[in-house]
Amino acid sequence: MSQTPLLSVSNLTASVDEKTILHGIDLNVAAGETHVLMGPNGAGKSTMGHVIMGDPVYTVNEGTITFDGQDITELSTDKRSRAGLFLSFQAPVEIPGVPLSSFLRAQIAGRPGLEMKGKEFRRRVKELAAELDMDIAYLNRELGVGFSGGEKKKVEMLQLLLLQPKLAILDETDSGLDVDALGVVSRGMDAYRKATDGSLVIITHNTRILEHLKVDRVHVMVNGRIVREDDASLIPWIDANGFDSFEREAAQAAGGAEAAAQASDETR
Amino acid sequence: MDALKIQHVNAMPAPTWGWLKMNDVSIEIPADLERKCRVEIEAASELYEPNVSFEGALAALQERLDAARADAPVDTRAMLIAATGEDHGAEELDVPALSTYERRAVLSEHADDVARDFETGVGIDMRAYLNFLAGGTPVLATEAGGEAEATIRVTAQAGEASGASLDIVAAPDSTLELALSLDSAAEEPAFIGSTLRIFAGARSRVNLTVYLTASDAVTVVEDSGFVLDEDARVTVRHVVLGGAFTATGLAADLRGDRSRIDIDTSYLASGTEQRDFNYIIRHRGKRTLSNMDANGVLTGTSKKCLRGTIDLIHGAKGAQGNERETVLLASKGVDNKTVPTILCDEDDVAGNHGATIGHVRPEQLFYAACRGLSQEETEALFLSAKLEEAALNAPDDAIRSNVIRLGNALIPQFAEEFDFDDEGDLEEEIA
Repeated sequence: MSQTPLLSVSNLTASVDEKTILHGIDLNVAAGETHVLMGPNGAGKSTMGHVIMGDPVYTVNEGTITFDGQDITELSTDKRSRAGLFLSFQAPVEIPGVPLSSFLRAQIAGRPGLEMKGKEFRRRVKELAAELDMDIAYLNRELGVGFSGGEKKKVEMLQLLLLQPKLAILDETDSGLDVDALGVVSRGMDAYRKATDGSLVIITHNTRILEHLKVDRVHVMVNGRIVREDDASLIPWIDANGFDSFEREAAQAAGGAEAAAQASDETR
Repeated sequence: MDALKIQHVNAMPAPTWGWLKMNDVSIEIPADLERKCRVEIEAASELYEPNVSFEGALAALQERLDAARADAPVDTRAMLIAATGEDHGAEELDVPALSTYERRAVLSEHADDVARDFETGVGIDMRAYLNFLAGGTPVLATEAGGEAEATIRVTAQAGEASGASLDIVAAPDSTLELALSLDSAAEEPAFIGSTLRIFAGARSRVNLTVYLTASDAVTVVEDSGFVLDEDARVTVRHVVLGGAFTATGLAADLRGDRSRIDIDTSYLASGTEQRDFNYIIRHRGKRTLSNMDANGVLTGTSKKCLRGTIDLIHGAKGAQGNERETVLLASKGVDNKTVPTILCDEDDVAGNHGATIGHVRPEQLFYAACRGLSQEETEALFLSAKLEEAALNAPDDAIRSNVIRLGNALIPQFAEEFDFDDEGDLEEEIA
């Protein structure tokens, strides 16, 4: 890993409605690296993606997020995006009344190097749609309205390729997809890496999407804590053994901590 | 000189509580406007048929209705006795007490007089002013089985009041495409308006597209009244994008059996603009059908009131009326009123209404923010999307140019963003 990571999350603790969801998270992603964040359902993986992106639903209680040399902990979400961060949604929202093409055009407006005139924009979007096997008729439809799950994920990939962020967090982009759609998502990730050499943080609890990907680092998250970090060899191990052992260790650690706290109270 | 104030414009047929302030609207015509008729009608000369009149079309329909009624059994309902004053106090216990509205409705139903029932959306006083501005009412009429199209353009310069009045008669089995543009780029107060009386003959098709693209200094009133004969079908597309204050009024009498009207309204209000709509659909014929769909975006501190009344009159067996509205409140300061009303005096009918009114939801804002859009940019997106859609679907290049001019005033570099050329043509379709 290079000396200065592109994304650095340090001792990050975050909560929602006064309930702590993330506990002292540390994560460093260097430029061009692919990291995988795995864990059982409810581990806090998606929350982490949202907190890195600045979702106002969550409160950062402690810690910092640094991106491309800048402390972005207090930065608004739109500015994080313009700084080069991207979050692909597990369940992309629908925005009735706004055609997809208008939404895409607004995204690139004012972005240095990405701004395009109308004709060029349309050509570029058509190229990307073709690359993702996406019917261009969707471009004139209201964003997400009546789109299948697979089409919504294609739209996420389309935006990833259009915006070419420095770092993309893909939040369970593979969930609920059939084999064909999974292939499209994989192609999208490949195309992104080839075009930009950008960094990827892939949130998943399914190893299938990782089969054709060169993974640099794997992080396992349980109960809002990163409990294990390793290289790509961890993926087949998880494939064979699941997350049970991590969950047991986490429960024991939590039990131990509780007992220690109790003992400390009794001593006082 | 004081501004001319016209009251009870766009009045609901059956008023609700007065304190809600939504029964009607008062319109102030700016003071000292010069009456100047700036109206262009683009239509083939064959459409100017001197021997056809709107009144004549109604009279012919009346004759047929009277002939059919002569064979019908005498109506002895208690409602009728109550309305025609033949009640003798408590002697007739089945005779109900009627409200003023009910009495008027029953008398209208009893008389079955097409001409007397005729109405337009804005009401008599406002229509009289529009007639005064127009100075005369030309008649456009199609031939039986023919196809025709016409475009009407109304405009005004600063300090002027301009209005159009037209009668349209679509002969049986004919098709008529109408486009109406109410546009003014005036930067000082001005007034533009139009009033149309439209008779859709048996099995005819009338498609009316109306674009309001005036600047935010202009008051606009657009008025229409329809009478539909058997199996006639009317579609109306109202695209209301600009104007300091706009009033849109439409009344339709679905007199002929199986006649149908579909109304699609798309509106936008920004800044301090005000939109007022009044739709009155009277189902009198059997198995008649109406659909009203409105879709709007309100930004800034704009205001909007939309009244939609479906009146299912006794005898309209099998009739169905539907009204739906979707409003997006893109800013917190907007004032939105939606008043769907279904009046019913017939058992075998269906009336449906629904409204979806909402702000841009937090998850939508976050999603857009994740793609680099601030809240203001996201709200502006709804505005630009509405304008873009209107430009792409404009009936002709001149109207498209009006939309683009308005778009450029609201959104910096609108034309450039959407790649329209100087004439308003889109250089290449996206799909």
